[in-house]
Amino acid sequence: MTSAQILFYTFSFFLVASSLIMIFAKNAAKAVLFLVLVFFSVAGLWILLEAEFLAITLILVYVGAVMVLFLFVIKMLNIDKSTLRAKFAGYLPLGLIVAAIIVAEMTMVLGHEQFGLNIYPAPEKASADYSNITILALQLYTDYVYPFELAAVLLLIAIIAAIALVHRPEQNRKKQDISEQVSVRAKDRLRIVSIAKNNKEVNND
Amino acid sequence: MKLLYLTIVLAPLIGSIFAGFLGNVLGRKATHSITILGVLISTVLSLYAFNYHVLEGNSAFNQNIYTWLAFGDLSISVGFLVDNLTAVMLVVVSFVSLMVHIYTIGYMHDDDGYTKFFSYISLFTFAMFMLVMSNNFMQLFFGWEAVGLVSYLLIGFWHHKESAVEANLKAFLVNRVGDLGFLLGIALVLMYFNTLDYVQVFNNVNNIAGITIVDDWSLITTICILLFIGAMGKSAQVPLHVWLPGSMEGPTPISALIHAATMVTAGIFMVSRMSPLFELSETALTFVMIIGAITALFMGLLGIVQNDIKRVVAYSTLSQLGYMTVALGVSAYSVAIFHLMTHAFFKALLFLAAGSVIVAMHHEQDIRKMGGLKSKMPITYWTSLIGSLALIGFPGFAGFYSKDMIIEAVHYSQLPYADWVYFAVIAGVFITAFYSFRMFFMVFHGESRVDKHTESHLHESPWTITIPLIALAIPSAFIGFYTIEPMLFTGWLESAISIGPSHTSMEILKSHFISALELISHSIVTWPFWMMILGVITAWIFSLYRTEWADWIKNKFKGINYILESLYGFDRFNEIFFVNGFKRLGEFFWKVTDAGLIDKTLVNGSAKLAGFFGSLIRPIQTGFVYHYAFFMILSLLFILTWVLYSGENPLLGLPF
Amino acid sequence: MISLSDYLILSSIIFCIGLVGIFINRKNIITLLMCVELILAAVNTNFIAFSHFLGNEAGQIFVFFILTVAAAEVAIGLAILTLMFRNRGSIDIDITSSLKG
Repeated sequence: MTSAQILFYTFSFFLVASSLIMIFAKNAAKAVLFLVLVFFSVAGLWILLEAEFLAITLILVYVGAVMVLFLFVIKMLNIDKSTLRAKFAGYLPLGLIVAAIIVAEMTMVLGHEQFGLNIYPAPEKASADYSNITILALQLYTDYVYPFELAAVLLLIAIIAAIALVHRPEQNRKKQDISEQVSVRAKDRLRIVSIAKNNKEVNND
Repeated sequence: MKLLYLTIVLAPLIGSIFAGFLGNVLGRKATHSITILGVLISTVLSLYAFNYHVLEGNSAFNQNIYTWLAFGDLSISVGFLVDNLTAVMLVVVSFVSLMVHIYTIGYMHDDDGYTKFFSYISLFTFAMFMLVMSNNFMQLFFGWEAVGLVSYLLIGFWHHKESAVEANLKAFLVNRVGDLGFLLGIALVLMYFNTLDYVQVFNNVNNIAGITIVDDWSLITTICILLFIGAMGKSAQVPLHVWLPGSMEGPTPISALIHAATMVTAGIFMVSRMSPLFELSETALTFVMIIGAITALFMGLLGIVQNDIKRVVAYSTLSQLGYMTVALGVSAYSVAIFHLMTHAFFKALLFLAAGSVIVAMHHEQDIRKMGGLKSKMPITYWTSLIGSLALIGFPGFAGFYSKDMIIEAVHYSQLPYADWVYFAVIAGVFITAFYSFRMFFMVFHGESRVDKHTESHLHESPWTITIPLIALAIPSAFIGFYTIEPMLFTGWLESAISIGPSHTSMEILKSHFISALELISHSIVTWPFWMMILGVITAWIFSLYRTEWADWIKNKFKGINYILESLYGFDRFNEIFFVNGFKRLGEFFWKVTDAGLIDKTLVNGSAKLAGFFGSLIRPIQTGFVYHYAFFMILSLLFILTWVLYSGENPLLGLPF
Repeated sequence: MISLSDYLILSSIIFCIGLVGIFINRKNIITLLMCVELILAAVNTNFIAFSHFLGNEAGQIFVFFILTVAAAEVAIGLAILTLMFRNRGSIDIDITSSLKG
C-alpha cells in the first residue's frame, strides 16, 4: 500500500464520516464544525490531486469566511438553542434507499471498467518546482479573463443584495415626504363648521 | 302598360308611406286626402285595365319587372301577370278599398290613431295588389304574408284592449299554420318543376301527372292539398276558421275590407289561379268541396245564436266562403270568382252598415239592445236591406245569381259525396236567410230596446259613412244581372282558368242557361227560393211576431244551444291541446333541457369536473421544500435508470 | 494506485449524502444550506479529479468560479434566513408552507 493510498483512504474516511455526522447533528453549531472538518478533508484530497492553490483557497475562503459567517448567523439568531428535536425517523429509510440506489447506479457508470487505471492512467508526478498558481494564472488571465471579471461583478451584486435585504431603516424616524406636503388641500387641514343662529333665544336675552 | 300596372301597385304604397311617417306632421286632412288619392288612382287605373283586358279582349300581360334574387339556376323575380282574372280582382279590391278609405274618415273620426289607420289600410291595398298581380309563387307568398301581417296590425289596432291583442295573435298564428302547408306546397312545386313561374309550371303540369311520392301518394294531389291548406288558413275554412270571429275586435272598416272582401278571398283566388293543377287531382277537388260544404253549413248554424252584430256578419262571411270553396271543388271556378265578386260588394256593404249602426249607438254592438232603428237611420236601413236581400239570394239581386249558380253546379257534379254537399248548400240557404233577417229585424224593426241615453243621440251617420254605403249598394243590386252571362259563360275568365274534360259541371250549366231574366222567373220552382222564403218567414216569427217562442225553443233544446254557443268547441280544443301543449313543451325544454341539462350538467358540470380533478392533484403541492427536493431526487433517479438501462443501445445492459 | 474511478465514486457518495441531508432535515434551514455546500464540495472534487487525470487545467479554473458563486450564494441565503427569522420568529421549514395547494 503506497502512502498515497493510505492518505487517500484516511482523508476519504474522515470525509464520509464527518459528512454523515453533520447531517444527523441536532445542534447547528456542531454541524457547522463538522462541515469544517469535511472541508479540511476535501482540501487534503485536493492536495493529493496536485491542486494546491485551490486547496489553500478552500481553507482560507470557504472555511475561513463562509463557515465563520454561518457561525455568526447561528450565534446571532440563537438557533442552536431553539432547534427542536427533529423527526428523522419517518423519512430516513426512504431517503437512504433512494440515495443508495443512486450511488449504486453511479458506481456502475463510474466504475473501473469505464474510468479505471487502464483507461485513464495515473499521470506523472509533477516536479518540485511545479507552481500550480502560475499554471492557473496563465490560463485565468488570458483565456478566462472575461468570466473572471464577471465573477467580480457577481460578488458585488451579492454584497448589495445581502445588504439591501437585511437592512432596516430605523423605525421611528421622522422624515418629510415632499410630494405629499405639496399636494395638500385646504380641506385636509381645515374644517369650517357653521353654527346656526337661533333668533328666539337671542331675543330672549 | 307596364307603367300602368306599376302605378296601380305603388300608388297605395306611397300613400301608406306618407301617412305612416308624415301623418302627424301633415295633419288629418292632408293624410286622408293623400291616401284616398292613391287608392283612387289605383281604382281608376284598375277600371282601365279591366276595360283593356276583359272588355276589349287584349291578351294577358306577363312580364318580370325586377329580378329579386337569383341563385343557381333558379331566379325569383317581381313580375306581373295581368289577365282577365287578375283584372276582375283588381277592380273588386280597389273599389272596396276606396269605399273603405272614404268610410274611415267618418268612422275613425274620434280615434287618436287616425293617420296610422290610413297608413295600414293603404299598405294592405298594396299587399293585396301584389298578391293578385303576381306571376310566380314567391311573389304570391310575399303578398300572402304581407296581407296576413297587416291584418294582424289592424286587428290589434286598439292595442290597449286585451281582447284585441289576443285576437290578433290568434289570427296570425292560425294563418301561420295554413302558411306552413302553403309553403310545403310551394316547395314541392319548386322541387319537381324547378321553377316558380306560373306559366312555366302550368305548361309542364302534364309531366308530373303520374309521379307518386312516399308510398303512392300522388304528387299532384299532395301539392294541391298543401296549397289548399294555405287557402284554408287565409279563407278561414274549418278547422282553421277560429280566427275570423276574433278578428271582429278590430275596427269595422277593416272587417269590411279585409275579412269580407279581400284578404279572405285570397285563398279562393289562389285556387282559381291554380286551376290547371287542381284539375288533375280529383281527390284534392273532393277534399276542397267537402271542407267548403262543412264550413258553409256549420258556420251558418253558428250565425243563428250570435248576439253581436259584427259576429253575425262574421259567421255569415265564413259560411259564404264555404260556398265559394264548394264551387271551387266542383270545378266551377268562374262561379266561385263570380260569387267572390258579388259577395265582396254586399258583405262589405253589410259590414259598413253594421259599423254605421255601431257609431250611431255609440259603440254598442249587442243586437238585443237595438231595435226600431228604421225611422232614425233611413239610409242605413235601405242599404242594409239591399245588402241582406243580396246575401240571401233574393231573385234579381247579385247574390241570387251567384249562389244559385253554385247550387246548380254542385247539382251537376260527379264527384263523390256531391249529393250530400248539395243538401248542405240548400240547407245553407235557409240558414242564411234566417240569421240575416233575424239580425235585420232585431236591429231595425220592432220595439226599441235601446237605452234612453243613447236613444236621444241617435241619428243618421254623416255623409262620409253613408256615401260608401250607397256606392256599394248599387253593385250589390245590379252587378249580378249584368255580369253573369259574360263572366260565366261567354268566356271572360276562360283564358285564365282551365277545366279538365271530366269535370263537366260548367258545360252542363252553360247548356242550361238561357238568360239572366229567365233565371229569375225560373227560380220560383227551385228549392233555394222556397228555402229562402221559409227562412225569412221563420226569422220574422221568432224575432218580431212571437219572440217568446224563440226563448221556448232555446230552453227546450239546451244541449244543441250549448254546442252552438260554444262554437263547436274548436276554441276550447285549441286552447287545451295546442296552447297548453306547447306551453308544457316550452316549460319542459326550459326547465329540463335548458336549465337542467345545458346549464347544470354541461356548463356547471364541466366546471365541477375540472375542479374535481384539480382537487385530486392539488395535494401534491404540499408547500414543503424538502418534499419538492425529494421529488426532484426521485426524478433524477428515474432518469438515470432510464438512460442506463432502456432503449435500443443502453449504456449498461442488465446483468441478467 | 488511486484511479480516477475511486475519486469519482467518492464524490458521488458525498453527493448522495448531501441529498439525503436535504431531504431528511426538516427543522433547520441552516442544515439545508450546509448540505448544499456539501454537494458543491463533491462536485468540485469531481472537477479536480478530472483535471488531474486528463491534464487539463480548465477543471481547476471552473472550480475557482464555483467557489466564487457558492460564496455569493451563501451570503444571500443567510440574508434571507435572517429576514425569515425576523418575520416569523423561527427557522422551521414547516412554517414556510404558504404555497400549499
